[in-house]
Amino acid sequence: MSQFSYRRGEQVTPPPARQTSDVSVMRFDHIYEVDPRLMQRVPQQPFPNWDTLRIAHGREDHLAWMHRHFAHAVISGAEVLDGLSDE
Amino acid sequence: MSTVTAPGLADEVLGELRDVVGDEHLLVDKPARMHRARVPAPFPVHRWARHIPDVVVLPACTEEVAAVIEVANRFGVPVVPRCGGTGLTDGAVPLHHGILLDVKRLQYIGDIDLENRTCVVGAGVNMLKLNEALARHDLFYPDDPASYPCSLVGGRIGTSGWSLIGSRYGHTRDLVLSFLHVLPTGEVIRIGEGGGPRISKSSSGYQMKQLFMGHQGTLGVATEATLKLYPKPEAEFSPFWAFEEYDTGYRAVRALAQADVATFAGAVLFDEEKVRYLRRDDEAYIPQPENVRALVCSALYGNEDEVRAGAGRLMRIARSFGARYMGDEISQGDWAARHDRYATPLHGRTKAGQVVPMSWHCEDAAINWSALPAVREQWHRIVADLRSRSDVFDDWGMFSYTSARTGVDYLTEIDVGIWEQELDEETWAMWVDAKREIARVAVAHGGSISACHGSCREGEVDVVPEELGGAYEVMRKIKRTLDPANVMNPGKYGLDGAFEEDLA
Repeated sequence: MSQFSYRRGEQVTPPPARQTSDVSVMRFDHIYEVDPRLMQRVPQQPFPNWDTLRIAHGREDHLAWMHRHFAHAVISGAEVLDGLSDE
Repeated sequence: MSTVTAPGLADEVLGELRDVVGDEHLLVDKPARMHRARVPAPFPVHRWARHIPDVVVLPACTEEVAAVIEVANRFGVPVVPRCGGTGLTDGAVPLHHGILLDVKRLQYIGDIDLENRTCVVGAGVNMLKLNEALARHDLFYPDDPASYPCSLVGGRIGTSGWSLIGSRYGHTRDLVLSFLHVLPTGEVIRIGEGGGPRISKSSSGYQMKQLFMGHQGTLGVATEATLKLYPKPEAEFSPFWAFEEYDTGYRAVRALAQADVATFAGAVLFDEEKVRYLRRDDEAYIPQPENVRALVCSALYGNEDEVRAGAGRLMRIARSFGARYMGDEISQGDWAARHDRYATPLHGRTKAGQVVPMSWHCEDAAINWSALPAVREQWHRIVADLRSRSDVFDDWGMFSYTSARTGVDYLTEIDVGIWEQELDEETWAMWVDAKREIARVAVAHGGSISACHGSCREGEVDVVPEELGGAYEVMRKIKRTLDPANVMNPGKYGLDGAFEEDLA
């Protein structure tokens, strides 16, 4: 069975949500969603899983692009802190 | 000859405008006019019809802009200039209908002078697109508003824009060397430092550059600018730190700004209410522990060796205040997102916690560091009162952002979510009263009503004469002298009053 086969049922059924705070849940790793209990006045539209992941990854691409746009290199704060711990 | 007509405009006016810009660039259809009636700041949607222009014109060059304004003068028709339409003080919102002069077709990048590091651009050029072109020469134009991907050079001049990295490179007034300017009567002049288009400091004649920046279109239209360029930075450093108390973050941000690090581009303090807001919906802050009650971030740009040296110094300072570094992922991700706040989808909460769509209003002021705690307390009290009376309003917290490398004053904002669809005359009046109060607090603490957006929206504009005193009378005289027919963006800054009485 090809791992790339598309089954609509799989794509419109998101993974189960786990509560991440009083107001948020997480279905995909590192992607937070507003707790559906708080979305009574603004109904959520059904989203295929691939589209949720595409939007999240697109945002990451955009932020990485913005860094490259503003400077040739980004200095890591973790590395700077490591340097200070040697002092 | 087209037979289209515009409501409120004589066919003769329309015909002359058509002769200037051509049929294709004269728009009278309702969507074209309605879309240019508002800006992203919360808008009284229940009063939309009051702000729709009669006609939209899109000139292609300075001469066409001048010709449009000459027609407007001859027929006494208001002209409202518009660039990206991203301003937050309604500069591009018509108050008396008339001609909407959209400069987006002035989007050429002209001479890039590598020897003197300057370039010439049309007013309709966007900074992001300009920097893509400049990157081929390893150059950079560092005017960086929160609307960076969508605002335009002409609007930055008309509003005297504030830049996120202005503590390093200066703000729009420092980066624009000169510009072609169409006066309210249609004459074209060059405004800059003396007469040379690429001069950064002159002592010849009156210094008029700042007068013709930030006037919100009331003194004419900038059509072409000569800009100062920098090398594209080798390196960027953008740490975010968490604090357990607002007061510690407050003292830390001053220490960072006053450290005199040469590559320092800015530092920002986020207060407890802002952290609470971020903790609702922002993936960086949802998982933060409850003891995080304030945030500070900073940004450095420049040569890599200098940025690294400055980074070590800032880290030591933050550590001396007990700050916790929030990690590279949050620091780099959040900073990159700050160049593009207009892309952020927004929603607020009713008092019952339900999500509702809201527009973002950031009420800004220029406040000295010593006055920040008092202003913060009073502003939150004003917005808390609004929220207690209506679910239309939501307090999204405050931040304070260095305007200059010495940390003398801060662009200080309280962000207020507004549920536009639910606005009516009663809630709009509540909002306008609150804006007036917010402005008065800033002035009472020795600040200015606005560091960034301008101060000509309903409510705050009433306080401008109180803030400026005798200088406001000079403003009125200048307006009447330069725009005797009062055609340029009439109604803004209360300047209609300059035509209704004899000025002393």
